[in-house]
Amino acid sequence: MKVWPLKFREMSDGSMLFADDAGGFFKAGEGFLDRYATDNLSAADRMFLKEGSHGFEREHDLPWTSFAYRWTRRQSRPRKMNYVILVPTLRCNLACGYCQVSRAPEKARGFDWSDETLGGVLSFLNGLEGPDIKIEFQGGEPLLRVDLLEAVRDFCREKFSQSQFVVCTNLQRLDARAWAFLDADDTFISTSLDGDRQTHERQRTHDGAVTDAFFRNLGAAVARYSEGKISALPTVDVANPPNFDVLLDSYERYGIRSVYLRPINHQGFARKLHQGDEILARWNRLHSEFIDLLIARNHRTGRFMEEYYFSQCLKRVLRFDADNHVDIRNPNFFAADYVVIDHDGLFYPTDEARMLSRIGRIDLSIGDVATGIDRAKVDVLNSGAFNHFDPDCIHCAYQPFCGTDVVDDISRYGRVDIPRPDTWFCGRHLALFDKVFEVLYRKDEPARASLAAWLGVVAWDDGMAPVHS
Amino acid sequence: MIPLRVKVEANAEQPFVVRLRSFEANGRQREPEQLNPFEVSLERADPEGADYTGEGGPIRVLGIDPSELDGDVLLVNPRRGTADRLIRSTSSHNTFLVTERCDQVCVMCSQPPKKHHVDLFPYFETAALLAPEGATIGISGGEPTLFKEQLFAFLKRVLAARPDLSFHILTNGQHFEEDDWQTMAGLDQSRIVWGVPLYSHDPAIHDQVVGKPGAQEKLLENLAFLCRVGAAIELRTVLMQPNAPGLPGLARFITTMLPFVQTWAIMQTENIGYGRMNWKTLFYDSSQGFDVVGRAIDFVRSRGIDARLYNFPLCTVPEAYRRLAPATISDWKRAYREECEGCSLKAECGGFFEWHPRDHGYGRLGAVQ
Repeated sequence: MKVWPLKFREMSDGSMLFADDAGGFFKAGEGFLDRYATDNLSAADRMFLKEGSHGFEREHDLPWTSFAYRWTRRQSRPRKMNYVILVPTLRCNLACGYCQVSRAPEKARGFDWSDETLGGVLSFLNGLEGPDIKIEFQGGEPLLRVDLLEAVRDFCREKFSQSQFVVCTNLQRLDARAWAFLDADDTFISTSLDGDRQTHERQRTHDGAVTDAFFRNLGAAVARYSEGKISALPTVDVANPPNFDVLLDSYERYGIRSVYLRPINHQGFARKLHQGDEILARWNRLHSEFIDLLIARNHRTGRFMEEYYFSQCLKRVLRFDADNHVDIRNPNFFAADYVVIDHDGLFYPTDEARMLSRIGRIDLSIGDVATGIDRAKVDVLNSGAFNHFDPDCIHCAYQPFCGTDVVDDISRYGRVDIPRPDTWFCGRHLALFDKVFEVLYRKDEPARASLAAWLGVVAWDDGMAPVHS
Repeated sequence: MIPLRVKVEANAEQPFVVRLRSFEANGRQREPEQLNPFEVSLERADPEGADYTGEGGPIRVLGIDPSELDGDVLLVNPRRGTADRLIRSTSSHNTFLVTERCDQVCVMCSQPPKKHHVDLFPYFETAALLAPEGATIGISGGEPTLFKEQLFAFLKRVLAARPDLSFHILTNGQHFEEDDWQTMAGLDQSRIVWGVPLYSHDPAIHDQVVGKPGAQEKLLENLAFLCRVGAAIELRTVLMQPNAPGLPGLARFITTMLPFVQTWAIMQTENIGYGRMNWKTLFYDSSQGFDVVGRAIDFVRSRGIDARLYNFPLCTVPEAYRRLAPATISDWKRAYREECEGCSLKAECGGFFEWHPRDHGYGRLGAVQ
């Protein structure tokens, strides 16, 4: 039997995690590592590797084919553009301290789509092949221009057989027309809820009356719509994190069971903030504690909540088809299945690229609605959009599960060729996958119950995470 | 039970395929030009029978209300005075039995093989072309790929002529060869599901179940072949006493070796054919011992591979797994029992096989409130 190359990493309990390029993994002791590295595999080693499909006898046999299949399925292959993020206005009626988008004041001029831009956006949408489309309205505060949202939605409903709309709104001020827009069954709400009232007010609203208005509108929306209509995410200040228990209570009270914990983004106005030293280590520690807290809480209440991104990473470890999240997939080619159109009609590959360009550090725009997507520029970005040949990633046990983030690298370091282990992206994901494997191999009932819920299965048991003893 | 064969009188020598139409039944005027050469339309009906005329007729169908036959495609055997309802227009369970020969002798086979074979492919082709819009047609046996030349040619022509049709083909996977690569890759595999049985990851157990030494080895080779030609595979495992304890092991095998299957179907046994003869040593009471089934299902589903329970009455399945148990027992084999009276799940439940024994079945069943 020829054994596919195995990469390994020490786990928190001192044992070793091994993984092959197709994402097949198992836990083993150091003895196995010695035998593997010195080409002294025992008969039992060989049997274990054979059963786990970590090797093959000849090309095209079943183990070879299944390995090839799993490897291939792990490659992200977006085929058509079906997700467009629109910024009809940059104006906003809040001024959050960490604002990630370099917003414009509510009364400012020249930060909304012109008639020509709207026409260009619709003509771009008209050129998409369909049959489905998802539109995310970002801002600024998009509900300041419900008229533009209506124009886009009307157009899409006509053009595509399936369409879905997400309004990313601060829910501060909703008039009858805004409510009517949100009422539609094909339209969803995404908002920010930074945890408890104090944190939310400190980071976002700055004023008791404004805070009241937000919670009043959120409560009204929750009462008005069924579960699943509203999603929310908290932005966490690592230097001053909210009480996570209170945060989870708050989310659950509003019927939101999936929480995407996000650190204040290192872009836009946010990059000007000083967040203290060792921010990465602190973030990783916070996130890990949050997962432990979730597991204990889920066990206590019997009502399962999840941290969205952790669940995503967990699925990327176990499954070969979990590449529907644009933050983590490999390759992550730009302007392939989604794109951002800014308030001035410029295309950006991601929302982060838009923010980065906005602060004047680098121009990451990739064309505009009048002239189309600049494929030459996209190709330059794409040259760094996969981890297959990175000199550090190729030695990493987590490579098949992980991805890349060129824009984040540019944002933080001004270049894309920083050694991986020195980047925020790598540091964050090493810690995330360490945590994923720690939880996967935990034997306590609370961890198993949460794993089952996060994976959408009825029960999780020991035998489901392979161990070579 | 829904009859699959009806009595007919027809004035012909050779068997023929015909589609029955009942224009009056739908309040439509009969317009002869609407009939194609393979159709006949209802002329008159009396309590004993119904008369149809047209280029394909005339024929008289006996003992069944013609309203139940509108749109059905029959294979008429005039000498015997019978007709097989090859396609029942209102059913989603239409299957062509292409042969009764088989090279395996499975211990639970519901349709034990016979040596005699008559090639009916020309009739099946005509019938398929007359199938309702968007139908999925089952191909079964015996072992259909014993006649793979005819089968491939049939599929190629029908798939090309009717872009709306799909096929579900049951095969033991023993007869594909590398030389079939071109032919198989040339078929529109997106419209075919290959239902292939694997009973155990342990070759000894699998080979014993199918009564053929070396069968599992050949099967695994051919599952790899099917993966490489882009075939959609429904892997089928009949749950029985000999293979039930190994189900979690089979689940692990699927996640590592057969991740490309579209669905893994764990199936309950039918008490008919060899299944009835060997019932005492085969039937696994999953209502009492669901643990191995649940663990196996959770294992493959945690890897993103679909797993389903076929032919399981919902009351015998723990609640959390019921959404994975579609009503798969074909309409013409399906029965409900006294215990089903008042069950809140009856509408979604496939019930029991008509021939499921009253006294030797599930230890736990009964209406769910």
